Amino acid sequence: MKVIKSKGPEIFDIELEKDLLAKNRLLAKRNRKIFDEKGILAIDIMGSIGSGKTSLIKAILRRLNMGKNVGVIAGDLTTTIDAERIKEEGAQVIQINTSKECHLDANLIQQAIKKMRFEGLKLLFIENVGNLICPGEFPLGAHKRVVVTSVTEGPYTLIKHPYIFRQADVIVLNKIDLARAMKVNPSQLEKDALRINPHAPLIKTNALSGTGIQRVIQSLGLKT
Amino acid sequence: MHEFSISSEIVRTVLETTEKNNVKKVLSIQLEIGELTLLNVDQVIFWMNELFKGSIAEGAKIKCKKIKTRIRCEECQYQCDLNLEQGDDHQPLIQYSCPKCGSLQIMIEKGKECILKRIQAVR
Repeated sequence: MKVIKSKGPEIFDIELEKDLLAKNRLLAKRNRKIFDEKGILAIDIMGSIGSGKTSLIKAILRRLNMGKNVGVIAGDLTTTIDAERIKEEGAQVIQINTSKECHLDANLIQQAIKKMRFEGLKLLFIENVGNLICPGEFPLGAHKRVVVTSVTEGPYTLIKHPYIFRQADVIVLNKIDLARAMKVNPSQLEKDALRINPHAPLIKTNALSGTGIQRVIQSLGLKT
Repeated sequence: MHEFSISSEIVRTVLETTEKNNVKKVLSIQLEIGELTLLNVDQVIFWMNELFKGSIAEGAKIKCKKIKTRIRCEECQYQCDLNLEQGDDHQPLIQYSCPKCGSLQIMIEKGKECILKRIQAVR
């Protein structure tokens, strides 16, 4: 911080040059370092409300069958519903309640990982708050980011939210079994994905029946 | 609504800094926000004005400058500012390849900042 006097003795400038988003990025880097040191692969699951983020995590956990060697941090404004659902699959779960905040941030993750039991922990899923906007601004330190959307949100979700889909390593289009009923053409969404983010594969899933889950697991570099 | 958390952080920083410098009144605050952030500048200013109420920064003039996007190519190291095409949805569409060599390995050098640059105050 630099103080510059100017315009008479009373008025002066304080030069700060402080990037307020940099703090989150710094904390995210620290989280990443912890994950790397402990040999944990961390995956941030972002996506819309009700798109099936928890169901996707549950379906992946069921196939991986790694018990307590998987951790899940579940973010929601309130309730422990998601944590309870994930616990059924045997993973260790920590619920973060953000109360009014629409996203998780690197600081909340730092607090949550302090509560984790690291012995044997190989894999960590971070389920972000359901939202296709705000989480995109706050990296958490995860190695990979998945964005989940579903056909029930209609045919325009990808082109309406290019920012978040651009940050994805994997895009999941869930509830694919309902595409016809919703009059949504999945190949159009695939085309949109290719235009917005050619680096990320779009994987069509039905998290409840298990369709496409194996492909999600493979594209995240996980082994069953 | 993430504007609220960022605005709170800015307000906290302004009030902490001015307290340390024995400020009587804050006259103006200069921000610089990158065009690739998902921050709506009007909302940030609205929340700052609200949060400053009752403090020495109430009524301070808040100025905000846009930081343009700058990219660097990882392959050929070419750097340039981007003139982002403004889509119908008011979200700039980022081109994904290097304008010189066509590589897809692009790093964003500038455009993601939210900088509290300067506070003008009376002692």
